[in-house]
Amino acid sequence: MGMTDAWVIPLLPAAAFVVLLLFGPYLPRRGDWLAIIAIAAAFVLVFPVIADFTDALAEHGAEFAGASNSVEWMTVPDNLELRLGVHVDAITIVMLVVVTFVSLMVQVYSLGYMRGDARYGWFYAVLSLFAASMLALVLADNFLLLYFTWELVGLCSYLLIGHYSHLRSAAEAAKKAFITTRLGDVGLLIGIILLWNDTGTFNIQEVIAAAEAGAVRTEVLTASVVLIFLGAMGKSAQFPFHVWLPDAMEGPTPVSALIHAATMVVAGVYLVARTLPLFELVAGGPELVLAIGLFTTFLSATMGLVMTDIKRVIAYSTINSLGLMFVALGIGAPAAAMLYLFTHAFFKAMLFLCAGSVIHATERQDVSQLGGLWSKMPVTGATFAIGALSMAGLPFLAGFFAKDEILAALTQNRAVFALTLLTLPLTAMYIVRVFILTFLGEPKDAEAHAHAHESPPSMTVPLVLLGVLTLVSGFVVFDQVGRALGFPGGIGEVIFLHEPEVLDFDVWVALGSSLLVALGIAGAWYAWLVRKEIPVIAAHVLRPAHNLLVNKYYLDDFYQAIIDGVVLRTAGILAWFDRSVVNDTGVNGPAETAGLMAYLLKFQQTGKLPNYALAIVVGVVALALVAFSIKA
Amino acid sequence: MEAVTQQIPLEHFLVLSALLFSIGVYGVLTRRNAVLILMSVELMLNAASINMVAFAAYTAPQAFTGIIFAVFIITVAAAEVGLALAIILRIFRNRGTANVDEVDELKW
Amino acid sequence: MTVAQVVFYFIAALAVGGALGVVLMRSTVYAALFLILALLAVAGVYILLASEFLALVQVLIYGGAVTVLLLFALMLTRTGDLPETMVGAQWPLAAVASAFLAGLLIATNATTDWPGDAAGEITAVPFELVGETLFRQWAVPFEIASLVLLVALVGAIILARQEEGE
Repeated sequence: MGMTDAWVIPLLPAAAFVVLLLFGPYLPRRGDWLAIIAIAAAFVLVFPVIADFTDALAEHGAEFAGASNSVEWMTVPDNLELRLGVHVDAITIVMLVVVTFVSLMVQVYSLGYMRGDARYGWFYAVLSLFAASMLALVLADNFLLLYFTWELVGLCSYLLIGHYSHLRSAAEAAKKAFITTRLGDVGLLIGIILLWNDTGTFNIQEVIAAAEAGAVRTEVLTASVVLIFLGAMGKSAQFPFHVWLPDAMEGPTPVSALIHAATMVVAGVYLVARTLPLFELVAGGPELVLAIGLFTTFLSATMGLVMTDIKRVIAYSTINSLGLMFVALGIGAPAAAMLYLFTHAFFKAMLFLCAGSVIHATERQDVSQLGGLWSKMPVTGATFAIGALSMAGLPFLAGFFAKDEILAALTQNRAVFALTLLTLPLTAMYIVRVFILTFLGEPKDAEAHAHAHESPPSMTVPLVLLGVLTLVSGFVVFDQVGRALGFPGGIGEVIFLHEPEVLDFDVWVALGSSLLVALGIAGAWYAWLVRKEIPVIAAHVLRPAHNLLVNKYYLDDFYQAIIDGVVLRTAGILAWFDRSVVNDTGVNGPAETAGLMAYLLKFQQTGKLPNYALAIVVGVVALALVAFSIKA
Repeated sequence: MEAVTQQIPLEHFLVLSALLFSIGVYGVLTRRNAVLILMSVELMLNAASINMVAFAAYTAPQAFTGIIFAVFIITVAAAEVGLALAIILRIFRNRGTANVDEVDELKW
Repeated sequence: MTVAQVVFYFIAALAVGGALGVVLMRSTVYAALFLILALLAVAGVYILLASEFLALVQVLIYGGAVTVLLLFALMLTRTGDLPETMVGAQWPLAAVASAFLAGLLIATNATTDWPGDAAGEITAVPFELVGETLFRQWAVPFEIASLVLLVALVGAIILARQEEGE
């Protein structure tokens, strides 16, 4: 099975979705085994594709850009041609591995976590649909197919966030997620259409080639790039669209792990990486990406310091990481961004799954009610520690290598480099804080602590697997490892724009970042474990800042105010217009006028003979007058 | 046939006919008693007859179509009066009144 | 002013006066009597128009049968002894309409150039020729007219007949 046959990969979970949709309730165990088999098969099928890709690399060397395969879908002669197809290159390979593996882990994990849930079968069905859509998204070779699958993953996200359909908050969160990303999606669609208008094609590679050849007008290119980035911002929860991701934690934890950590939210990163040549052609394009990413990183890091819900802290850390990925893309280092995406998928998914394990065991989510769980849940605790430290950037864990690559790429730009360095201790601090408050110290809620137990193997095995990956996946950065995996020039050769990107290991950067990370970890240790009164005093002393952070910079309130003041008010006016003008006057008006006329005219029927006779005579006289005057 | 010199212009007869007709119309529209309405209708018919005969006499005396027509008018008028009065008697028996203003069931 | 003209104006005045009496009289019987006057005046007009036969028929049918019939009907449909008191509520409008009608007709008469007018000459018509034409050229309408009378007769009987127990 070669790269051109990669279209089979999304079909497997799609078929599972259809079968589960139609026959789910009748299958044993609601068909969860079917979904798992489908995704496992998809994961297995990725490897032949990779092998074919490395063969092609060896054959063509650095010039190899990727393989495509497409079929015609619909044609309007001389106007529009829609195709369905796949395009496999280095970026695709990374995404395929990530999506299939994390989906598989999450589906296995859900065997334990979602056991006994009322809508268990539907959960697995939508998970399969999501896997199919996401895989199709990363394989898509044209913008239109990308957009369809983009919307599909959004739909799956909506369905899964609102899985606990009896909860009002879940429904609201699902709605918020969908509508916020929708705003970005509209931009994406307009951008796609603008590009098609000037180039005549939807195929991504052809559009890039046309743009580089100058076939697209400058203002159109600028507009479409900005709009495409809007779509990426929406899906990847960048400022100002980041508000939906913390609320999306209303969904079950496996959903958060899969969709809102590893796969869907990185669709924006994938999109920008894919269309990076277009961004480079626009003046200020990469700078925009960089600025938004950097700002979002800081924003979310500061908010993560005060949140008390485990899942929300990890959600903010996801926003943090996504911002970093966009920073990497903005500085022109897509390889570093994809590396971070790759490693981040593993440790972030693992963090979420650990949180889910805690929630499953204690039925609590708030850290103010947790604590001292290390003794009760060692496996979960250990993997959470690994994930947290990797997130912080402790040397030799996956996160460390990925962050260092980004930092190494940033060294040319002093200001951005300094700012990014600043985020390191912040990140370390808040993630270690969560670990400390959850697993160490005295239990704050005795009942929760008593009830806590380690999770079943269906949940802990994925955790361990992901933990192992977190430990080792960072080492792919080294050329030797890359060659061992089959890439002649190391992984760096895999993802490049025009020339191979060299992934260096800069010792000074590594030392500097390690120092800052250690500082952050020590600070967290001191503040939340040793001298526990420090956070309380800090919150008291810095009351305004604390309030600002706890209220999420009042952004949610701001958006709600806009919705109430502008959107709903405008809708009210339009509704009034529809009701009174269109309905009452336009539709009911003629009917009521007819009725009124009929009412007035009926009095003519008096039933009296003389009246009728008079009418006849008057009519005759009138006609005669007319005839007489005409004759005269 | 001899020509009888009358020195009455045709218009005089026609004016007379018009006047009688209009007065008959006024009667039909104004009178309340059904029988009186019928009388007014007779007036109108007679006016029409005068018209016919006058035209016959002045313009086409050889054909005397107008006179024949007048005969038929009289015939039909007689038949109509008979029938109309039968109907009025019927109504009178049903309702106790011959007042057309009080026979107004077919109203709104 | 010739004799004929004087006679004509006199007879015309009688006719119009009778007509006015029919429509304006408050008593129904007086109205009927004025009708007789009007109809007889019309007969006189026929004589002026040199169709004596028609005048005869007019007097016989109208003056004899129709008015008697009308008087019978008036008698049979009398409600109390009150004469007809009211004039219809629409008499202003009716007056205006009738006036307009009269005006129109007279105006049309005056402005038209009638053929064969000459100096107002009337040709007398022999009686026999009328009968001949009536039964020759106009035989079919004649038969139909008699049929009309038959139908009216039958209809009147059926309508006015009293059922058992009515």
